[in-house]
Amino acid sequence: MTPTYYLVLAAALFTIGAVGVLVRRNAIVVFMCVELMLNAANLTLVTFSRINGTLDGQIMSFFVMVVAAAEVVIGLAIIMSIYRSRRSASVDDANLLKY
Amino acid sequence: MGTTYLASYSTLGFLLVLGVLVSIAAFAANRLLRTQAPSPAKQTTYECGLDPVGDGWAQMQIRYYVYAFLYALFAVESVFLFPWAVVYDRPGFGVTAAAEMGVFVAVLALGLAYAWRKGVLRWL
Amino acid sequence: MTTMVSADTLDISFPEVDYLALAPLLIVFGAACVGILLEAFLPRTRRYSAQLVLSVVGLVAALVTIVMNVGEDRPAFAMSDGSRVDAIVIDGPGLFLMGAIVAMGVIAVLLIAERRVSAGGAFVAHAAVAADSKADAAQARHPGATEVFPLTMFAIGGMMLFCVAGDLLTMFIALEAFSLPLYLLCGLARRRRLLSQEAAMKYFLLGAFASAFFIYGVALLYGYAGSVQLVDINAAIAASGNSQVLLLSGLAMLAVGLLFKAAAVPFHVWTPDVYTGAPTPVTALMAACTKVAAIGGLLRVFNVAFGNSGNPGGPSLAWDWRPILIAIAIATMVIGAILAVTQTDIKRLLAYSSIANAGYLLVGVIALGQALGATLFYLVAYGFTVLAAFAVVTLVRDSQGEATHLSRWAGLAKRSPRFAVIFTLLMLAFAGIPLTSGFAAKFAVFSSALEAGQTSLVIVGVLSSVILAFPYLKVVVLLWLSQPVEDAPAVSMPGFMTGTAVTVGVVFTVLLGLAPQVLLNIVDGAGQFLAK
Repeated sequence: MTPTYYLVLAAALFTIGAVGVLVRRNAIVVFMCVELMLNAANLTLVTFSRINGTLDGQIMSFFVMVVAAAEVVIGLAIIMSIYRSRRSASVDDANLLKY
Repeated sequence: MGTTYLASYSTLGFLLVLGVLVSIAAFAANRLLRTQAPSPAKQTTYECGLDPVGDGWAQMQIRYYVYAFLYALFAVESVFLFPWAVVYDRPGFGVTAAAEMGVFVAVLALGLAYAWRKGVLRWL
Repeated sequence: MTTMVSADTLDISFPEVDYLALAPLLIVFGAACVGILLEAFLPRTRRYSAQLVLSVVGLVAALVTIVMNVGEDRPAFAMSDGSRVDAIVIDGPGLFLMGAIVAMGVIAVLLIAERRVSAGGAFVAHAAVAADSKADAAQARHPGATEVFPLTMFAIGGMMLFCVAGDLLTMFIALEAFSLPLYLLCGLARRRRLLSQEAAMKYFLLGAFASAFFIYGVALLYGYAGSVQLVDINAAIAASGNSQVLLLSGLAMLAVGLLFKAAAVPFHVWTPDVYTGAPTPVTALMAACTKVAAIGGLLRVFNVAFGNSGNPGGPSLAWDWRPILIAIAIATMVIGAILAVTQTDIKRLLAYSSIANAGYLLVGVIALGQALGATLFYLVAYGFTVLAAFAVVTLVRDSQGEATHLSRWAGLAKRSPRFAVIFTLLMLAFAGIPLTSGFAAKFAVFSSALEAGQTSLVIVGVLSSVILAFPYLKVVVLLWLSQPVEDAPAVSMPGFMTGTAVTVGVVFTVLLGLAPQVLLNIVDGAGQFLAK
């Protein structure tokens, strides 16, 4: 099993996440897609760590995990507050700000 | 800046144009070939054959949510303990490494203290 | 090809830590942590003054330690075996950028703390209360939450770290450390809460999207270079036999993340909405400090890792990324300037002007080492002017709060000439009229870009700044020559803190216009990024 497959898998996950962010309407789903992108980056880091024979990449993926958790907490708090005010989590409904 | 230099970008430009054309063609073909028979049943959420009841945002106790947040943060921060545990008993680390982990945990405890003072930890 | 790695086989040793070099960061983050403690344990009535004093003292102490570090040019960590640990690099430009962020941060904290202009300040008391509910009306009487102070301090600390980070992982952590508090701060406005929450959500979703690109780019560069230290990436570009695809796609994704924070076209779409919806003091913080951090990060990455600034004659990747970045800079300058012309809201106008200014700053990034000093000068000149401009925006109020629509500003000079003189001066500085800081800054950046051979870029820059002058002059004409509307908003008397912010901003705008050489000497003395 060559590690290249993992890189391709990670690239596919990243693309799915990026497309998801662009086409989905629900803020929470959009946010889950961002998390998928972060995890694709994690998989890439760990794979390269193995290819390069250094531990750096694995340590870096720890940091990305922690950042992702912090983002979840902040993001869900923001989405929650907007849902409580509007009863909707659709990014299309958030349209007061335009010229 | 010679012509070959710019020509090397024409491949990129060609690829971009091709990408746009392919997706336009795919969507156009889809539009031409598909049948259109909209019905309200098709718009509902798929729930394994059952009709969905209510909307997706069920009421629940807000405490779960704050607890889940606290758990997510503390559980995930603990991944830093693992690499630390591998090296802390090596020569040159010892007290300093323990002190640094103490600072790290203290910063986390700070967040917990804040949550405690704000009454988050009291289950009403 | 693959190797199993275990910790036993690795030689892990303990680095020497230079605590003086870390002191500015430690002080700011420490003050933020103490701020949380104050928030938890002080009685409600005493929190505001304690937080304000703590924040200002923390920032001033950080500034002092930054000055104490002047002249340093080395990483803050040193391994006993001589290998490089570049997590934090203290060098001239890095110290200057940190100093600029802290100095502007003090002004922004004063704006955030202002409670005289409108009762209770600009921030909501309990963000968890649903907007426009009964409870929301009840909480309107309470003073604003004091949590904004620690949040601001975390954001400022993150921005400082972003400017001195010598590896991409530290940079990513710093990016998140300043972005996450800013997302929250954007959503905490006291009035027009739905707009504010919407701004927070847009900023958050797009910001998280951009930082996902950033970290994926980091991962690809790690695959290419085997390290995420900027100097190692630079060395790998000269020597590595790995696929160029990894390098170029990694660079592109990294650039997306950085250009998003700098608000460059086409990654600018969040800027007008977020600048409009966020509480105005937070907008000021973002327009001044975040701009410094984002451009500072771009400067360091493109100089050290991809521009080979340590060895200007040697091989460099600049030929590959320059055309793309030039296209982005031109688009940013032109689109920012043209869209600024059509705006009818002062905050949106300043947002589009901030986009166009990101374009002028990108000119400095593209010109690399030769324009570094001029770019640093531009950041400071623009930052202080924009702080003062947003401070003035907070003062023009009617019964609904801030009156930001330009039609409401018509003829304000008749009622409050002093305010109109100040705002006119700031607008002229934005427009780049001689004898203001805006002119000196644009002149410095464009002339050093010319020296670096970026003639076409400078021509577009000059043309777009002519277009951009138009909306500013339109505001000036509106202030002085139009008839006031019936229920024209009043210009509040600034409290001590907003007054200080406006005064400092105006003084810098004038001083940097009349005697730019003082600061130009400082930025020249800052030298180049540590690249070897």
